[in-house]
Amino acid sequence: MFYRESGDFKKTYQEDGQTFPIRFDRWRYWVILAIAFLVFPFFMNDYFANAVMIPFLVWAIAALGLNILTGYCGQLSLGTGGFMAVGAYATYKIMTAFPGMDMFSVIILSGFVTAGVGVLFGLPSLRIKGFYLAVATLAAQFFLIWLFNKVPWFYNNSASGQINAPERDIFGIVITGPHATPLATYLFCLIVAVALAWVARNLTRGRLGRSWMAIRDMDIAAEIIGVNPLKAKLSAFAVSSFFVGVAGSLLFSVYLGAAEVTDTFGINVSFMVLFMIIIGGLGSIFGSFVGAAFMVLMPVLLKNILVGGLGWPTDLAAHLEYIIVGGLIIIFLIVEPHGLAQMARVLKEKLRLWPFPH
Amino acid sequence: MSADFLYTLEVILNGLMAGVMYSLVALGFVLIFKASGIFNYAQGVMALFAAMTLVGLQSGQIPFAHLINAIFGTDLHHFGWQMPALLAIILTVGVMVLFAIIVEKYILHHLVNQEPIILFMATIGLAYFMEGFGDIMWGSEIKTMDVGIPSGGSFWLEEVTMTWAAEGERYWGMYIDKLDVVATLVALVLVISLTLFSQYTKTGRALRAVADDHQAALSVGISLRTIWVIVWSIAGFVALVAGIMWGSKSGVQFSLSLIALKALPVLMLGGFTSIPGAIIGGLIIGVGEKLFEFAIGSVYLGGATENWFAYVLALVFLVFRPQGLFGEKIIERV
Amino acid sequence: MSTQNNGQNDKKVMLDLKNISLSFGGVKAITDISFNIYEGEVRAIIGPNGAGKSSMLNVINGFYHPQEGEIWFNGEQRKGMKPYEIAYQGIARTFQNIALFKGMSVLDNLMTGRFTHMNKNLFYQAMWKGPAEQEEIANREFVEHIIDFLEIQSIRKTPVGRLPYGLQKRVELGRALAAQPKLLLLDEPMAGMNVEEKEDMCRFILDVNDTFGTTIALIEHDMGVVMDISDRVVVLDYGRKIGDGEPNEVRNDQTVIDAYLGVSH
Repeated sequence: MFYRESGDFKKTYQEDGQTFPIRFDRWRYWVILAIAFLVFPFFMNDYFANAVMIPFLVWAIAALGLNILTGYCGQLSLGTGGFMAVGAYATYKIMTAFPGMDMFSVIILSGFVTAGVGVLFGLPSLRIKGFYLAVATLAAQFFLIWLFNKVPWFYNNSASGQINAPERDIFGIVITGPHATPLATYLFCLIVAVALAWVARNLTRGRLGRSWMAIRDMDIAAEIIGVNPLKAKLSAFAVSSFFVGVAGSLLFSVYLGAAEVTDTFGINVSFMVLFMIIIGGLGSIFGSFVGAAFMVLMPVLLKNILVGGLGWPTDLAAHLEYIIVGGLIIIFLIVEPHGLAQMARVLKEKLRLWPFPH
Repeated sequence: MSADFLYTLEVILNGLMAGVMYSLVALGFVLIFKASGIFNYAQGVMALFAAMTLVGLQSGQIPFAHLINAIFGTDLHHFGWQMPALLAIILTVGVMVLFAIIVEKYILHHLVNQEPIILFMATIGLAYFMEGFGDIMWGSEIKTMDVGIPSGGSFWLEEVTMTWAAEGERYWGMYIDKLDVVATLVALVLVISLTLFSQYTKTGRALRAVADDHQAALSVGISLRTIWVIVWSIAGFVALVAGIMWGSKSGVQFSLSLIALKALPVLMLGGFTSIPGAIIGGLIIGVGEKLFEFAIGSVYLGGATENWFAYVLALVFLVFRPQGLFGEKIIERV
Repeated sequence: MSTQNNGQNDKKVMLDLKNISLSFGGVKAITDISFNIYEGEVRAIIGPNGAGKSSMLNVINGFYHPQEGEIWFNGEQRKGMKPYEIAYQGIARTFQNIALFKGMSVLDNLMTGRFTHMNKNLFYQAMWKGPAEQEEIANREFVEHIIDFLEIQSIRKTPVGRLPYGLQKRVELGRALAAQPKLLLLDEPMAGMNVEEKEDMCRFILDVNDTFGTTIALIEHDMGVVMDISDRVVVLDYGRKIGDGEPNEVRNDQTVIDAYLGVSH
């Protein structure tokens, strides 16, 4: 039978604990990975890579990061843009200070730098809760942007105040700079995104993830069961900022190639990533990807239909995008506060019992 | 008096005036938070929307002209009339009441009993929606607002203060925008009338009852839905007042909703539930950021510290006093 | 001093509370209360509403810090410990209003109870395969024993938010048991249950006490239950101790009858 658990016996706890308990889902997962790694590369062109796939992967990593903090640990953050800026500027400083370093090391180091900054701004979360914390994270957002704007050391005193990614490679394959091919940048982002999603899944299924969720669901009970709130919250801030930092790093170095801090990492970025996880699903890895896909694809589609198809002015399409995103956020919060991922889960549940739902 | 002292005084006075502006926005937050426990992120955009509507009505703009033109290929823009300011204001109040009814009916009503954080995120969605909607309805270009409030510096004040400076020192007199003075007076009237309203009218009592306990208020026959519409209408009115003041000062434009974000740290300081808190918090932030920029920011840090000072101040403050200046101490219960 | 004799028998004192006073602002919640809990016994705390029973439990597991008095646990005096440190010492509890992790499954709730018994670092957890997975599986086995014991096999993977009240109470007990506590605090484990559910819960409590040898302190309003399952009872009223002893003594104590029990039954 199709989509059934029966006959698929779990004989060990290891099998019982696997990510996709249903055989069909396991297959589907491998098929998607195979398409991403083996099929897409053959169709990769400049438009597909730069308008769709790379932004999708980069924002998915950012959404994963925020989802760890907000979806799993329950700490609402509006400072995502600022933390992405930290990742980007760390990347720039590392790239220019150590020209010989390969890109993997660069983005991982940038991630660690961001994690450190994240922990620093996460410290108040011990005393501040809920939207008080959300506003406190705005402090991180505005302060960091101001800092990167005002201190010339961060942009190596360049006259324009911009940062530009120099050409760097891995094993001789150019990843950044004008000579990078869409295929190379796509595969690089894909590998990073898949690896980080795997890490996120591992962290959230085990002891650490449970301590985050315990803090989210009932912090007092969590503390009494032995969870140190300081450790749980700060580790969430650290891991989340690592992801967000890597996303910022990729956004600047691989995707855009250049960045100006107020334009690229402003407060709107923070909201955009937040919307991704609301639409995709709070506390869901899969949801982070779905939300990112949605927020990346919707403007592209809208632009193609309204501007390309109907010949409307672009500003009208942009305003309509605001209306649609805002409206969808409200609709999702009303209809399904757990986002598209939860809808998929409900669908699966129904599919599992189909055609006899009782 | 030395010129330095006079400069500082001027900075403080201007800070107080800016603080009044923040307080005006913060006031709307407090009203809604008290009555419904909703942290209304959209308050700033409401102010923007109200100001846009007012300007649009006054200058006889055709709503959605841009959209209609795009669809039908027409070239509409204005009805060709000039509406008196007062009539336009009354009509805008009507629009804000309509907005309150729509918000209650289509959003709040469906989100009853949700966690505060979900409601907060819903208002962020609302803010985005209104931003796009306002732009499509009235166009996104910067508009000038003129409802007849005097603006510009006062020569009289400059001349008077010039004489205060010590002998031989150069001081050109104090610059205080008349608009700011008007805003302060308006804010004062607004706060007094809101206080009187909530203390001495039946609706005001019902409002306070709802603020205290939703269920208890329901059980004595207060209609929660009506109260919410009233509160959002009042908040819409406050947003309009803030929108007029901000709009007259710096034009009706998107950055208005960002300035309104500063109302958030104001509330952190003043506490979410206290009207005097909102006022005092606004004044502290206004004076604080102007003074900091004047004494430290522009001298040592390269300026533009106003972008973050309010938030960092609120953050530091919260760490030591999580309930705000006037909030009650939170005792956690198990 | 690890052992103190009460004169009557030779039991070891596990928890000793000496002259505890606790107040919030000007309100005195607990005034000068002393009592102890022997290892392996079932100790009940009873009293009218607002007598300070829950505050007492909160003091024991470190959520409140008393202004005066000493707390001795297993022969060591405890000072200014945080609740999570106390969890590591082996004290677990359930709550009057269920405090489960609503967004997690029953299994995950119980696994969270194993928190203090797991220690693989972030790196191992990020890799999963290897030490982290082994640790997870070992603890999963223990949790499965608890699941069998509480007869909740069928709801293992159900989100706790969907369970009926009685089962939620049982899962909460399971989460506390998963921590393998030396001392288990139960705050009104039977409140709001029907007779059958109460009987089940009594059975579980006594079984826990028998099979695991866990010391239990419980707050309960149902006098029948208290008199049946507890070894000793302490009675509180208005934040003061008005009675302490075996169920029979307490039941016949005139002060206790006046303050709480009403007519002796």
